[in-house]
Amino acid sequence: MKKRVLAILCSSVLAVSMLAGCGSAASNAPASAKTETKTETQTTEATDTSAPAKQTDGKNLPVLTTEPLTITLWDISTEEPNKSIAEAAVARFTADYPNITVNQVHQQNDTYKQQLIVAMSSGQCPNIYGHWGGGPMAEYYKSGHANDITEMYAKYDHPEYVDAAVAQSTFDGKMLAIPYSGLTGCDIFYNKTIFAELGLEVPTTIDELEAVCETLKANGIIPFTLANASKWTGSMYYMYLVARHSGNAEFDAAYTQENGGTFTSPAFIYAGEKIQEWVKKGYFPDGVNSLSADDNQDRALLYDGSAAMMLHGSWQVGGIKADNEEWYNENISVFRFPEDSEAKAAGVPQNVEIGTAIGMGMSFNCFKEDGSVDQELLDACYVLATQYFNDDTYNAAQVAAGTVPSIKGFNENIEDPNNKYIIDEFFKASNVQLWYDQYLPASVTEVHKNCMTELFGLEKTPKEIGEEQDAAMKKALAE
Amino acid sequence: MEKGRNIGLARAKARSTAKAATVFLLPALILIAIFIVYPVFDTFAISGFKWNGISADRIYNGLGNWKELLHDEMFWKSFEHNLIVMVCSILLQIPIGMLLATFLDAGGKKFNFFKIIWFLPYLMSSVAIAFLFVYALATNGGLISSLATIINGKRTTIDLLGKAPNALYTIIGVMAWQFTPFYMVYFIAGYGNIDTTIYEAAIIDGATRGQYLRHIAIPLLGPIFKTACTMSLIGSLKYFDMIWNMTQGGPAGTTELMATYMYKLSFQQFNMGYGSTVAAGMFILITAIALLFNKVFKVKEDY
Repeated sequence: MKKRVLAILCSSVLAVSMLAGCGSAASNAPASAKTETKTETQTTEATDTSAPAKQTDGKNLPVLTTEPLTITLWDISTEEPNKSIAEAAVARFTADYPNITVNQVHQQNDTYKQQLIVAMSSGQCPNIYGHWGGGPMAEYYKSGHANDITEMYAKYDHPEYVDAAVAQSTFDGKMLAIPYSGLTGCDIFYNKTIFAELGLEVPTTIDELEAVCETLKANGIIPFTLANASKWTGSMYYMYLVARHSGNAEFDAAYTQENGGTFTSPAFIYAGEKIQEWVKKGYFPDGVNSLSADDNQDRALLYDGSAAMMLHGSWQVGGIKADNEEWYNENISVFRFPEDSEAKAAGVPQNVEIGTAIGMGMSFNCFKEDGSVDQELLDACYVLATQYFNDDTYNAAQVAAGTVPSIKGFNENIEDPNNKYIIDEFFKASNVQLWYDQYLPASVTEVHKNCMTELFGLEKTPKEIGEEQDAAMKKALAE
Repeated sequence: MEKGRNIGLARAKARSTAKAATVFLLPALILIAIFIVYPVFDTFAISGFKWNGISADRIYNGLGNWKELLHDEMFWKSFEHNLIVMVCSILLQIPIGMLLATFLDAGGKKFNFFKIIWFLPYLMSSVAIAFLFVYALATNGGLISSLATIINGKRTTIDLLGKAPNALYTIIGVMAWQFTPFYMVYFIAGYGNIDTTIYEAAIIDGATRGQYLRHIAIPLLGPIFKTACTMSLIGSLKYFDMIWNMTQGGPAGTTELMATYMYKLSFQQFNMGYGSTVAAGMFILITAIALLFNKVFKVKEDY
């Protein structure tokens, strides 16, 4: 019997060894970080100090050390063309500063946030790391893994970022990141061939949108394709309906939970009820909660003509084009989320857009052992991020790849008409609301995402999910 | 004299065996200590802190996390899902594995083909199985929904993964598909261990094949049954990989298991301290259930 007890104990120990892995992140993290699929760009040669012309010459920048220095950089550019764009930026930097070595590691996107947590917890945090801003950025900063670069940003040269990008790189009045990956808008893509066949006009108000949906339904076409297994996809509808009904006011209030701010305020109830009404009317595909955006099942419904519209991020332009550019050119056009005419009459701004102004930003983790700022290292990181990432070559390559840098002036000269439309709307926006699932604290995000499943699955009422989000928000604020 | 030398030899042999055993076991022991024993203790240690996983300072929280765990609805809901998975797994995987094994055992060599085919699912990685079934069960273009559409003549969706309670039972089904082959092989080995003389004796005594199975072979498999159940039990309580890749605990937490909940807390919600409490709670629950199971189902080890 004793033996058996021991055997069971052992097997349960084995069972939790996986979980224990998290608790003891410190013990195995370095190993896992090192064995990651990574590409290191190490350019140390070139002791040729006679090379005078740097691309930073004549700019107001910190003077970088001439001593050997190593920077570790993490990004998620595992795929072309982003991979070569990012590597080229590093190569230009090391060519100008041969004494500095850059360890560039491309991490897999899917597990990137977890990798970062493991690296940070084990004291292996890279000196420069990309992230999506919002709640996690605040968390990195509060835990002492992000330098406050407000002063440097004011003092030295940097690209002229659009205001929304600066706002999204800021937390608590402190500049914490340098944007490097571009704007992402969120609008409704639609099949213009179907619209033309049925004689439909692009709707400008939500009432008109509903009329369009009715016509589509009557002709056996699903109005919206939506893959809500991913949850953040359904959240786009919720966010836009809230934004059209109340601008930023009610969300901002709910975020602080002060002065009566709550996720059960009228705009949230309105958004929830609208969505459930649309679900009941069949405006979304059946089984909406099991379709996943990860494998583009929403796009698939658009491709075979079963659905006519899709509210999605502007990265879809590149995605659909890559699948079939000819089909894209013939069939796909885009319009902004229609206005709420009642709210408009009441003076609510109708040009709040959902999306992200930075895509990803780079934060710096340059501290000495004793916790003080390692200015020498930080200077080098700052120059790399602002002058080599984000330089003309980099931006031109970004534009060629279909990404619009969040730098002023880049809304000109966009060739793709849909992209142009999206970016123009973005630049016209009075405010850009970052995706809730990036903006909210991480614990609230989880609740919010589950609420989206319950909302579209008609399992809970808008009021119930509002209360759940309130509870999560209150708890997060209390911490 | 002669005798004394013998004893000396035996002792020397025992001693050298002990030495050899130590040498051979040491590497494994060290690895287990580093990667299993230490993490378990560390998990319990971290469970007393309020810690986001990345900050240098951990705030000591005493039993605060544990108190929260006791009142955490989501944790107990996950535990309940684990129990459902556990019961269903034992009820599905073991009887079916047993049936298949009996069939193969009776058929002998000529059924080797089936043996190979049936064992295949177990050879696939959980992640691959998860993706396979996500595609097969997709409401758009998936196998099941497409079939339903053909049969029904119009667009029909059968939503097996996007709705409660379908999702949990679908996953239990997929798990059974994955693990039944393992128990099948396990029982084949069990049958193989039964001495042929017992079979011969039974036949000579006039037992039919069915009687032999019912009254002799199956009772003899008792200990194997019990071990199989224990394995299935622990396996279902710690289950993570496939469910993570299929639903990530969704829709709306209806397939959340303790392990997925723990992972979300620790790595997605910056709550490593409480995540460790959940992990430690799992450790306690799994050990307790396994011990209880062993106490309740006492089977004689040998025959």
